[in-house]
Amino acid sequence: MNSVGLWTLIKREMKRSFQIINQVIWPPIISTLLYVFVFGLALGSRIKGIQGVSYAQFLLPGLVMMQVIDGAYGESSSSLFQARFTYAIQEMLVAPMSAGEIVFGYVFGSVLRTFLIANVIMVLGVLLLHTTPTSWGLYVAVLVLVAALFSSLGIIFGLMAEKYDNIAVLTTFAITPLVFVGGVFTSIHLLPPVVAHLSLLNPIFYTIDAFRYSYTGQSDVGLAISLPVVAAMTVASYAIAYAMVRAGYKLRT
Amino acid sequence: MVDAPSQAPAIAVHHLVKRYGDATAVNGISFAVERGDFFGFLGPNGAGKTTTINAIVGLARVDGGRIEVFGRDVSTAWRQARRLIGLAPQEYNFDRYLRVREILFYQAGYYGLRPREVAVRVDALLERFGLSAKAHAFVAQLSGGMKRRLTLARALVHDPQIVILDEPTAGVDVELRLELWETLRALRREGKTIVLTTHYIEEAEALCERIGIIEAGRMVALEKTESLLRSHARDELTITLAHPLQAPPPMLAHFSARLDPENACRLRFERLSPLQLSEVLALLGRDGIDVEAVNTERATLQDVFLALTGRGAR
Repeated sequence: MNSVGLWTLIKREMKRSFQIINQVIWPPIISTLLYVFVFGLALGSRIKGIQGVSYAQFLLPGLVMMQVIDGAYGESSSSLFQARFTYAIQEMLVAPMSAGEIVFGYVFGSVLRTFLIANVIMVLGVLLLHTTPTSWGLYVAVLVLVAALFSSLGIIFGLMAEKYDNIAVLTTFAITPLVFVGGVFTSIHLLPPVVAHLSLLNPIFYTIDAFRYSYTGQSDVGLAISLPVVAAMTVASYAIAYAMVRAGYKLRT
Repeated sequence: MVDAPSQAPAIAVHHLVKRYGDATAVNGISFAVERGDFFGFLGPNGAGKTTTINAIVGLARVDGGRIEVFGRDVSTAWRQARRLIGLAPQEYNFDRYLRVREILFYQAGYYGLRPREVAVRVDALLERFGLSAKAHAFVAQLSGGMKRRLTLARALVHDPQIVILDEPTAGVDVELRLELWETLRALRREGKTIVLTTHYIEEAEALCERIGIIEAGRMVALEKTESLLRSHARDELTITLAHPLQAPPPMLAHFSARLDPENACRLRFERLSPLQLSEVLALLGRDGIDVEAVNTERATLQDVFLALTGRGAR
């Protein structure tokens, strides 16, 4: 195994993030703060508590997941696509680095970046909303799984994209709508029965449900369902990304 | 650096086949580059040069055949094989988020070398290629010539035994081209095996000890540069006459004399020995044909290239 090569790629991904910090680190933190003030504190004060906590406290884990999903997908897809587009990816492809090392490097770099963003938001939650995760192990596990899931999807779409605009297709037409109806702002128990049942078809619902459990200790469908679903999606997505890189899909002619 | 077995050639390509859909880019070529060789790979656009290079370095998947680098199969022992090769691609493909010095450190990292292991080498390469003053600049701030030199420095950062350069002097001015030629000669003296693809025939002629010419995916010539020139091109001798002729004099028929179609004062011959030349001059003098000048033109690789491919390089 080329552990130095792997660590070099992870360092490179982190370096890239900090070079474009105003694009990838600050925006999710600031937009989460705005959501908390507008929806959580201003409008939320008129809403009864959900799952035994205030609406703002209920909202926070959903907002964290929203930023983790958006950041993990957006950054890994654009980083890989840029590297393909500028041929800079060839620096790695001619070096003794395996497909496994390349995929793990991109995914781990993305996990570190989103972990940083999530933890800043978590600290803001402690300071502003006096809420902390009740299960730190679950908090870390779901964060890592969801970041790995969406950065793997980012690799898949970063490989498939022919132009930068293609990357936005998944965000615009799938991720953003599914996040908004996936339980960030409300429990499915408060939705009409038909909509609640449809929510169960939404894969993002399970990520938010599992992560919120680490804060509130409660879940809409039960952790025994949501956590395995998230884990299965992560494994499947990672395996597809690995298979594509190993086959040299749009990387090697 | 990886220890290389003592017997195997630096690069051995066996019946390489590469297809893109229905098109066959490389059609069963075989060749070897001996260790320490300066090998030139020539061919027109689309002949299969870059595809072959990409197959050697792992950027192209092969559809048939086998490639070995110092006896190591690039498909199975790819980690070891890749450590032995440094690639300087034609296109600038630098990481835009890194500064010049970082580019070398990160490239070494991808080859498994830690920063402390290569720090001295990185600074020596920056010095050698005149990039020390730009060590902390981004690539966008470099001139074209600096980018070309950085490409070569990056190819050398892990101290490979083989350096492959794809069109290293494409688009550079004459001064830099000569500077790069000198650098490549120095690398050759240091014991590196060098493989060069080029459109510039004079470049291959000036630098390479062996030449492979590829045309439509097939190797049409593979010889030492000198023997290639001898076997496929002829030195030409021109006798300039004081007055134009209607046709070559009949008494020169067995010397294969030709009248220059663009200048009827010039008689052209291929490969005349000094004895034959004095005989020709005597025959011309006997018939009262005045001679003004005698010139010889050395055969060039351009002539070989045209003879073998039937077209110009570009």
